[in-house]
Amino acid sequence: MARVGLEKINKLYGAVPAVIDVDLLIEDNEFVVLVGPSGCGKSTTLRMVAGLEEVSAGIIRIGDRMVNHLAPKDRDIAMVFQNYALYLHMTVYDNLAFGLRNRRVAEATIRREVMRAAEILDIGGLLDRKPRQLSGGQQQRVALGRCIVRHPQVFLFDEPLSNLDAKLRAQMRIELKRLRERVTTTSIYVTHDQVEAMTLGDRVVVMRDGRIQQVGSPLEIYSRPRNRFVAGFIGAPAMNFLDVTLARIDGQLMATAEDLAIRVPNEQTATLERHRTEAMTLGVRPEHMVLGDPRAENGTGFDATVVVTEQLGAELLVGVRVAGAIVVASRVDPWTKLQANQRLRMSLDPRGLHFFDRESGAAIR
Amino acid sequence: MMAQATTTVRGQALATAWLAPAARAALMLLAVVAILLLFLAPVVILVITSLRPGWAVYYIYRGTAFTLQNYLDVFAKPAVVRAFINSFVLATLATIISLGITVTSGYMLSRFSGPIPRAWFGTIYLFRTVPYISWVLPLYLVDYYFGIYDTYAGILLPHIAVHICFFSWIMKGFFDSIDPSMEHAAMIDGCTRWGAFVRVALPSAIPAIAALAILSWLYTWNEFLFALILTGHDTALITVTMAQFVTELGTQWNLMSAMAVLAMGPAVLVTVFAQKYIIQGLRI
Repeated sequence: MARVGLEKINKLYGAVPAVIDVDLLIEDNEFVVLVGPSGCGKSTTLRMVAGLEEVSAGIIRIGDRMVNHLAPKDRDIAMVFQNYALYLHMTVYDNLAFGLRNRRVAEATIRREVMRAAEILDIGGLLDRKPRQLSGGQQQRVALGRCIVRHPQVFLFDEPLSNLDAKLRAQMRIELKRLRERVTTTSIYVTHDQVEAMTLGDRVVVMRDGRIQQVGSPLEIYSRPRNRFVAGFIGAPAMNFLDVTLARIDGQLMATAEDLAIRVPNEQTATLERHRTEAMTLGVRPEHMVLGDPRAENGTGFDATVVVTEQLGAELLVGVRVAGAIVVASRVDPWTKLQANQRLRMSLDPRGLHFFDRESGAAIR
Repeated sequence: MMAQATTTVRGQALATAWLAPAARAALMLLAVVAILLLFLAPVVILVITSLRPGWAVYYIYRGTAFTLQNYLDVFAKPAVVRAFINSFVLATLATIISLGITVTSGYMLSRFSGPIPRAWFGTIYLFRTVPYISWVLPLYLVDYYFGIYDTYAGILLPHIAVHICFFSWIMKGFFDSIDPSMEHAAMIDGCTRWGAFVRVALPSAIPAIAALAILSWLYTWNEFLFALILTGHDTALITVTMAQFVTELGTQWNLMSAMAVLAMGPAVLVTVFAQKYIIQGLRI
């Protein structure tokens, strides 16, 4: 158990930067998820902590030790790989025992540790098998077991669930969560799946183009995204964006687009007016778009045309055209009857309006 | 329904679609027979020739005189027995010695970048692109200069070099196909870089190494050009000894064939028993 500190970490491949000025302090026993699109530097960051990639600049600490120049084996870490990376020529038992044998642990202790891990992960019946004889889910458990037996300071996960099919992934996600209750070790978890990021992380780190975009609790990231990228990346269906211009109409600050005028809630007025430009992007999550009910409009009503509907059973997703863009509303009653090209009256939940500087994409607060 | 099916087949625009199915099958059969003839006929002729008395070798399709005498005659020649022993020892030694270097160099080419792997890659690339035959005369001079002409060392060293240059690529291809994360896991699990190679990468490469060993061994066993130039009476190899049945008084086809059939033995054995590994090895 240890804190992990990344101080101004940089990674260059030749002249191409892959990770830029990453600063992050991970507390003891904390579970931090690095999330972002492919190529955002999250895996590279993880591999630098593991010692599989050299650090171009900056300092990595595990506990109180600076580990920049330590070999992976001396960093006291364990890692789960995307493709599990089990030793194919060894049995499951030997896979689990490998790391302990390298540390010259007594065979009796090894047996005890392996059995404990096998019990936790429910793989006791597989110990004599070879990895190729296991299903993807079982291989994943063995890979987790290989980490648990070692009692390392830090667990590193490199997209461990992305090779599993959707159903198994959801199941393993829950198991990881339960495992977390039994084994509380500082963990860094890399994924491109925002659902994993939201459900597993104590804190989520959103990355893009080698830089950290935002660090925060899952709910913080979801409800108060710091910029347009984070807002669009986290959440499914994704947040809707409309280019709007701020204008005072009859003394009230409005966000306007071609055939649209949305009343800006009073609590946001001051902040928005202080901002240097009127050119904004309005962000609204699909669940904050409301169908019908003119009483709830509160100055946020507008007319829209239905383009497409997606029936999900529990809810209906409605894609509508408004002010030249297609936006999606979710949480619509699945029994609502809608047709393409139908005209609709819609409104926005005033608590769910996010304004971003159209140029820089930064949230205006 | 039928009409539909026919349209579909026609729709696929097969080159032979205008032929009746029977004609198409016949064409296929003809192609198979032609290919079989191409590869099998020489072997069949060779085997038959080896079983014919010396006077009957030009008429192998006629007459019923068959004999095993050729094989006995061949084995009665001490030079032939010695050639078999020489070739066996040479192929085995060259394979064992080259394998260690080939496997590690293939691994290096697959996993590492930087000036040393690049220089090594350039070297073996160069040696591969130089026409094979242009090595022989310089090698003869080198052998002569070092005083190892017509010794085991004089033929062994060039063969090891060839193995390394030719087969490092195959090994590189194999290691390219296995995910390095297994070795990374081993490094995190307490191995050094070298330990990860020896304890994790190497064991999973065993099928490829087996295939490589067989290919290397057969290469040296079958090789003619080096053997012709770099060996003499003392270290005569089978390929050269076989050619010595061509004399000024004519060619002893029956004896030559018998020896050729015997020399084919290892290749046939390998094909029958180690086919699985070879195919695995060639697929990489």
